[in-house]
Amino acid sequence: MAASSSSASASVAGNAGEQRLLDRCIDAAARCPASVEAWRRQRRSLERLPSQLADALLRRLAARRLLFPSLLEVFRHSVQEIDLSGDIAVDAEWLAYLGSFRYLGVLKLADCKKVDHSAIWSLSGMSMLKELDLSRCSKITDAGIKHIVSIDSLEKLHLSETGLTDNGVMLISALKGLILLDLGGIHMTDKALRSLQVLTQLEHLDVWGSEITDEGASVLKAFTGLRFLNVSWTHVTRLPHLPNMKYLNMSNCTIYSICGGDSEVHIPLQKFTASAASFGDIDEVFSSIVASSFSFLDMSGCSLSNLYGLQKMKSLEHLDISLNRVTDDAMEYVANIGMKLRYLSLKNTGITSQALCILAGTVPNLASLSLAYTKIDDSALVYISMMPSLRVIDLSHTTIKGFTRVEANSEKIPSLPLLEHLIYLESLNLEDAPLSDEVIPPMASFRALKYLYLKSDFLSDPGLHALSSASNLIHLGFCGSVLSNSGLLEFVPPAQLHVLDLSGCWILTGDAISTFRRHHPSIEVRHELTQELQPNRGSTSQVHKSRQLPRAKTKVVNSSADSRRHSGIFFVDQRIKYSREEMMEIQEHTQPNSVLHVVPLPPELRRME
Amino acid sequence: MMGKGGEAAASAQHKEENEEEGDMVGVVKLISAEGFEFVIDKKAAMVSNTLRNMLTSPGGFAETREGEVRFPEISTAILEKICQYFYWSLHYASGKETAEFPIEPEITLELMMAANYLDT
Repeated sequence: MAASSSSASASVAGNAGEQRLLDRCIDAAARCPASVEAWRRQRRSLERLPSQLADALLRRLAARRLLFPSLLEVFRHSVQEIDLSGDIAVDAEWLAYLGSFRYLGVLKLADCKKVDHSAIWSLSGMSMLKELDLSRCSKITDAGIKHIVSIDSLEKLHLSETGLTDNGVMLISALKGLILLDLGGIHMTDKALRSLQVLTQLEHLDVWGSEITDEGASVLKAFTGLRFLNVSWTHVTRLPHLPNMKYLNMSNCTIYSICGGDSEVHIPLQKFTASAASFGDIDEVFSSIVASSFSFLDMSGCSLSNLYGLQKMKSLEHLDISLNRVTDDAMEYVANIGMKLRYLSLKNTGITSQALCILAGTVPNLASLSLAYTKIDDSALVYISMMPSLRVIDLSHTTIKGFTRVEANSEKIPSLPLLEHLIYLESLNLEDAPLSDEVIPPMASFRALKYLYLKSDFLSDPGLHALSSASNLIHLGFCGSVLSNSGLLEFVPPAQLHVLDLSGCWILTGDAISTFRRHHPSIEVRHELTQELQPNRGSTSQVHKSRQLPRAKTKVVNSSADSRRHSGIFFVDQRIKYSREEMMEIQEHTQPNSVLHVVPLPPELRRME
Repeated sequence: MMGKGGEAAASAQHKEENEEEGDMVGVVKLISAEGFEFVIDKKAAMVSNTLRNMLTSPGGFAETREGEVRFPEISTAILEKICQYFYWSLHYASGKETAEFPIEPEITLELMMAANYLDT
């Protein structure tokens, strides 16, 4: 059973790797409305369907928008988990069917804007429901809560950004079995929080953006099992001692104490988010954290100038101190705790290249580094190249030029080739760094590079052409450059390229972009003009047609024309330089990669914030 | 359908004579709810993790000794499709060639349950 359930979930994860027969069946069953009609009357089979198969099938149907209220009924006896989040069609009629699901344990209706208190009425009296997600269903009000509190079995309840008030929150205290309660973005007061004291099973409480103060926070003592607490954007400054707390979010709060002001007790915090928070005595706050298990710290925008409090945090893996007043002097503390660091953001701080000199050699595991909006220059690259595990580097909005000079008038020494030492480098952001064409070629030989973001007024045709040989490139940003039409059409994209971002390339015309797109249908081209081009392009079937027409003619061309014949002739229009076969070859190169359209980019490879 | 099963048996026997004794060699008989017998290569049956476990676990299952497995829950039509999938999977597993394995929408539910049981 365990194996089969994992396969069912794998089937939802995507088509990666070899597809199993089970996945193929689910796929075939949810292919189109006609295939649904073929099986929906097989009542006996549907009743026997194991729940994990029913869940997977329903998920697939929902993802393909093949679900409708009366179809839900066939799953009444089998489904245990339904996620219809974001489906704006879901309304009272859907919920009327869902209310009769006997074994339903999890129901997610986040962002279903039509769900209101009368629709929720159908859910009252469900006996197996353990998790209900109504996040951002703005029509849910205190009246709707009355129906929900009749579901005794509930363990997880998400009600963030609904229309609840204090009166509704106080009703929730009837749900004694709650483990998770998300009340973010609701204007509840201390009075409502006090009424929730009876929920002693709570492990996860989210009350961001509420009117809670220190007085209400003292009530949290009752939740001895609390592991997750989010009180960001509240007036809370002091928390009582919560012995099991692992995740704490106090962003935009003023923080005086996180353990009841007792300097003897320590909390086993793993993750602490305190962006844009201000601290009373920062050292005191940090001294109450058990350093050995503390791995994640976000202190962006805290106006800190001193990092003294970090000195014992040797287990940190994620450190965000962007938007602070720290300078090179504070880097010593980061270097001290660098052993385990995997993510470091120094974005928008006062550091210079000297900071990297201090960090080099102390961060062997660092995979992601952000130095955007800092005063670093090319001299930092030599130190960056000494951080062997780097995968993602953000150097945007810096003064990196791609070369250095020993003296003012001496010869330029290219600096970007230094990064070639970073054999894992997958993503490099150099947007708004003043790069010129001559420094681009070395980047084509970065072996692992998949995402490259460039944006500079000094870039033009030769820069783009130099990147043709960057064999693993998936995403290329070449924004704000003076790329010409002929330059674009002459560009032979790397075989793997999936996205070409040409935003702000103001010389390009719509004709050139659509011609390029026709030649490279598997590449998504981004440009201000592509919005206008979209309707002209018509449906995808037309694109297929245009792709097939020249192919049909290829054979004729093969026998008659010879591309070599044309060599030596100067072409005014670069497009005719390529023979049709060459064009086709370029197309063939790009086609196998159309698979990439469905593969979502891994989050760690996306552009750094 | 019986003819097909017989053919498979004949080819499998032929193979058995040529190949050496081993875990992957030989045939196995799969019996549907209605009592139809499908004789397939052990190699093909191994596509199913459930059958693989049955056939390779030392001395555990009676099925291992007798070389036949009964499926009282799986109808003949579905079991035939399953056997086709085993051979299809063997052929296309390398990934060099690709072809769609056709699944008629009418049988998706039954086939889904059988595939789930056979862990394939």
